[in-house]
Amino acid sequence: MDLLVDSIRSAFLLFLACDPELLDIVLVSLKTSGMSTLIAALFGVPAGFFIAHSNFFGKRLLLTILNTLLALPTVVIGLLVYAFISRRGMFGSLDLLYTQTAMIIGQVILVTPLVTSLVLAAISRIDARYRKTAMTLGANDTQVALVILREARFGICAAIIAAFGRVIAEIGISMMLGGNAKGFTRTMTTAMALEYDKGEFVLAVALGLTLMTIAFALNMLFHFFQGRIESEVV
Amino acid sequence: MKLYELQGVTREFKGRKVLDLPHLAIESGKIYSLIGPNGAGKTRLLNILAFLDRPTSGEIDFCGEQVTYCKQGLLALRRRVVLVDQYPILFTGPVWKNVEFGLKVRGVARQARTDRVHEVLSLVGMEDFFKAEAEKLSGGETKRVALAMALAVRPEVLLCDEPCANVDEENQKIIIQILDRINREQSTSIVFSTHYLAQGRSLAHGELHLEHGRLCVKSEQSQSLVLPVNLNHGQLH
Ligand SMILES: Nc1ncnc2c1ncn2[C@@H]1O[C@H](COP(=O)(O)OP(=O)(O)OP(=O)(O)O)[C@@H](O)[C@H]1O
Ligand SMILES: [Mg+2]
Repeated sequence: MDLLVDSIRSAFLLFLACDPELLDIVLVSLKTSGMSTLIAALFGVPAGFFIAHSNFFGKRLLLTILNTLLALPTVVIGLLVYAFISRRGMFGSLDLLYTQTAMIIGQVILVTPLVTSLVLAAISRIDARYRKTAMTLGANDTQVALVILREARFGICAAIIAAFGRVIAEIGISMMLGGNAKGFTRTMTTAMALEYDKGEFVLAVALGLTLMTIAFALNMLFHFFQGRIESEVV
Repeated sequence: MKLYELQGVTREFKGRKVLDLPHLAIESGKIYSLIGPNGAGKTRLLNILAFLDRPTSGEIDFCGEQVTYCKQGLLALRRRVVLVDQYPILFTGPVWKNVEFGLKVRGVARQARTDRVHEVLSLVGMEDFFKAEAEKLSGGETKRVALAMALAVRPEVLLCDEPCANVDEENQKIIIQILDRINREQSTSIVFSTHYLAQGRSLAHGELHLEHGRLCVKSEQSQSLVLPVNLNHGQLH
């Protein structure tokens, strides 16, 4: 117990001192996770929208594959991407291994299915009459899509936040493709694993707390934008 | 002139025919009431007339031209015909934004939009709700705003699914007056559904009776009853 209390106290001191190493790690984490979430959203939101609103042969199969991909372990993605970007891989000449780009590629693969399926669920859930109303009032396809995205905006935001939460807490891909290089590809999770290995709990706990704080702040922000949360029925 | 002409139109769901209309013609510039019990197919027919749904088989001519159901064609048609839903839903946001939607998608300038929004909201007696949050309106208020949304775009054809259900008596009268007025002043063609016989009579120039998806020529639908009660509606066909 003492260990934890001591670690938390020292962690706060690190925060107060704005420890440069800590800051660096947090920034790398935010940057890579932010970037991969953004890219995953750029693919996943339109994909979810498209799948929700079209009937095509093999839709059910696609949904099954999508759900299977949700369970894809990070180490499998790490291995897969590694196979492509390592020296002997197809894209070996690009020298991507152990860079932030490599981490982002892996993380995008990790969360694009998540964004897609959550957006798909959010859009399927909203009332079909929104679409019908927009159509009868003369909206073209783009205008109808904007109406639907607007009505599903909380679900879409929740999908993106969930994706960010997934990548910022992920370790397998960052470790395998980033390599935990100090000041460069060292993220909160890989640093925590390292510090743990060294038996140094202070930085690990400080990072753990930071991670939790970011997640908390993000969700607070989301609820703030979502507006009132009190229920209409008692 | 013929507004709609339906030939052999059917609509099936999983092999069950919910609409079966060998022939149906609707004249332009008139008001029709679509009368039938629950499940008769009124909503399905209105969806087809609004080009929101496609018949399983059959052909539809609109203003003398055959409807082809290609994307561009449908958009052009939908900009001339508006359907007010039986249970309308409003977009999240203030009432005025809802009402200007149809104008905005047509690229109408802001000032003209605002003027028109005020105009139609006062027509349906909802001008006090200009800035109100649309989601929080009552059922009847929602219905009147939905009508205002449709009126805002001055459609050639206005289809109303049960415009008076869920609305109190005073506002039913107001809605009926509005339909009558836009028919006379803008010669908007109107088809509205109802399951009350009485409601149609006072307003409509023609009645369409639906039962089990079929038009039925009722004995009571003799000439004298099809005649409008209100003779200043103009020329009969
Ligand atoms: N999407 C659908 N799938 C299957 N059956 C449907 C669907 N929509 C309507 N139906 C069936 O078609 C029939 C006609 O429905 P419709 O909604 O047109 O009735 P209505 O005349 O509008 O009735 P009401 O007065 O209750 O509004 C009903 O029996 C209904 O169950
Ligand atoms: Mg109905």
